[in-house]
Amino acid sequence: MTTVLKTDDLRKQFGELTAVDNVSIEIDDDKITSIIGPNGAGKTTFYNLLTGVLQPTGGSIWLRSGDQNELTDVTDAEPHEVAQAGLSRSYQITNIFEGLTVRENVRVARISHEGTRLDFRSRATGDESVEADIEEILELTGLTDIADTPCDTLSHGEKRTVEIALALAIEPNVFLMDEPTAGMNPTEVTEIVSLIRELDADLDATFVVTEHNMDVVTDISDRIVVLAEGAILADGTPQDVLADERVTEAYLGSDSV
Amino acid sequence: MSATDTSSRVSRFRSAVAEGWTRERFGVLGALALILITFAPPFQVYLFTDFLVVSLFALGFNLLYGYTGLLSFGHGLFYAGGAYGIAIVLRDLGPMIADIVGTGISPLVTFMIGGVVGLVLVIIVAVPVGWLSVRLQEIYFALITLAFGMLGYSLIIQDPAGLTNGTDGVIVLLGTVDLGGTSLRIGGRRIYYVISTITVVAATYGVWRIVNSPFGTICKAIRESPDRAAALGIDASHHRWMTFIISAAVVGIAGVLRAGLASVASPGLTHWSTSAIAVIATVIGGATYFYGPFVGAFIFLYIRWAISRFPALEAYWELFFGALLIAVVLFFKQGAVGGLLLLRDRVLGNNDDSDPGGRENTVDPGEQASAASDHEDEPGNDNMATDRGDDT
Repeated sequence: MTTVLKTDDLRKQFGELTAVDNVSIEIDDDKITSIIGPNGAGKTTFYNLLTGVLQPTGGSIWLRSGDQNELTDVTDAEPHEVAQAGLSRSYQITNIFEGLTVRENVRVARISHEGTRLDFRSRATGDESVEADIEEILELTGLTDIADTPCDTLSHGEKRTVEIALALAIEPNVFLMDEPTAGMNPTEVTEIVSLIRELDADLDATFVVTEHNMDVVTDISDRIVVLAEGAILADGTPQDVLADERVTEAYLGSDSV
Repeated sequence: MSATDTSSRVSRFRSAVAEGWTRERFGVLGALALILITFAPPFQVYLFTDFLVVSLFALGFNLLYGYTGLLSFGHGLFYAGGAYGIAIVLRDLGPMIADIVGTGISPLVTFMIGGVVGLVLVIIVAVPVGWLSVRLQEIYFALITLAFGMLGYSLIIQDPAGLTNGTDGVIVLLGTVDLGGTSLRIGGRRIYYVISTITVVAATYGVWRIVNSPFGTICKAIRESPDRAAALGIDASHHRWMTFIISAAVVGIAGVLRAGLASVASPGLTHWSTSAIAVIATVIGGATYFYGPFVGAFIFLYIRWAISRFPALEAYWELFFGALLIAVVLFFKQGAVGGLLLLRDRVLGNNDDSDPGGRENTVDPGEQASAASDHEDEPGNDNMATDRGDDT
């Protein structure tokens, strides 16, 4: 067991409002961790802090970068620096390169990973090892059949899968999945859950998931962290957390349904 | 889903016709056409050269707009930069260069040095202007580039350094090359057409290579979603900056050619109305297609020419153009190239991608939205579902 992501007293304030309140958490590489909480609990802000989209008011963020054993301080890093350091994310509202094909989407991520983005002399499709890597990722995520389809013609479920393929293609140490089943029908949910399971088994990346669908959460998580009003309310195995009265109270007492 | 699924003879014939337009054949035909134009009447040669130069201007602009998603309203600054660069070299350094290389070929050498100076000047300007501009996006980017363009306009007119000759501009005299008895006037329409064609074809090939390189792939990703690109480890701001500089350099080359064609480098080149020509040509042609700027520039210049044949209408040519622009924006979101491809697909009755024009794979999001939402009958969806089922 190794810690791949750690926050120390992470804090974010918007004026008077404390969106994330001294959150200290360690994510281990041998578990799928879910971060849940009622609407307004600070999940999104927490994600935005981790990914460098927002700068914290206080505290620090540490990430396992590449093969290093020591954690790297990424508290003040820009989003692209966080990604380069080994943290990848998927979005709640699908955020992929809609105008490009599935294969091109993955190619973008591979070019970034290979560090060849400023190469304007070679052909984008000319590197055989990159193309083989793309193929592998497409196969892993079951996208091979639709590889050359423009993303804006894909179904919602397929787009969500491209979202995952993109995030994985940069070979992250930590993969933050923001609501992977958002907007999906039950069949698609079943598919994506089994995909997440497979990927977690096949890959080195450590999965961290936020999710509204409690069935999915209990199904895939080894550990659940509950955020409420910006702070950690409960932290433990799914059984323990769901049995916790404070958790039930936080959910029922909030505006969320 | 491929076209081979359909086995009817008609469709096979149609795809054979479509595949006949290979890139190679297209290239050969294009080269033949370019050679044939040298035999056209002088005015037509001039008009076609004008078309090539405006095309390159719009092509450079579109590297930033269509490929990276940044709408610049100040690319006239770099058009003018190239033009003034060569004009000032021709005016001030011509005699010196003639002393060094001899009078015979000095006009050609001066022209080439001037071109390089124009290009370098543009890059020097584009580095800081781009660095400041790419920090902003969308309308703010358009406004700051507009401001830089108009700043250039003011500086050229006020001429604080005594280089640009104010509102009159700098006259460009290209001179005559004398090679052992044969004399070639560089500014002559046919010679200048040949020079422009070679330059534009070479620059176009360069841009084509760039958009198909890893660099260009990242540009397209940034156009589609800058924050997604950043989340994959791409420094979007830096990449935009690099694209801005390359885009400006291409426009600078067009500016160099413009100076020789117009025989003057004038302040109007950096006025926003000149920057707008690149925008309009690109939008009319189709910003998402590599050759869109060419088609747009062709329509722009040849419609203007056609209207000018009717003196009664000439005063209103901008009105015609405005109407055309409205029609394109309203009905052809993918521009004329998009419209032509749609027409081709209708005529050939297919949807294959073996087209010769280096078409980009962007599809109009508006038209595809309905198809995307209706995903129950997507064949790909079913395939994926069964694949997953087998795996688990």
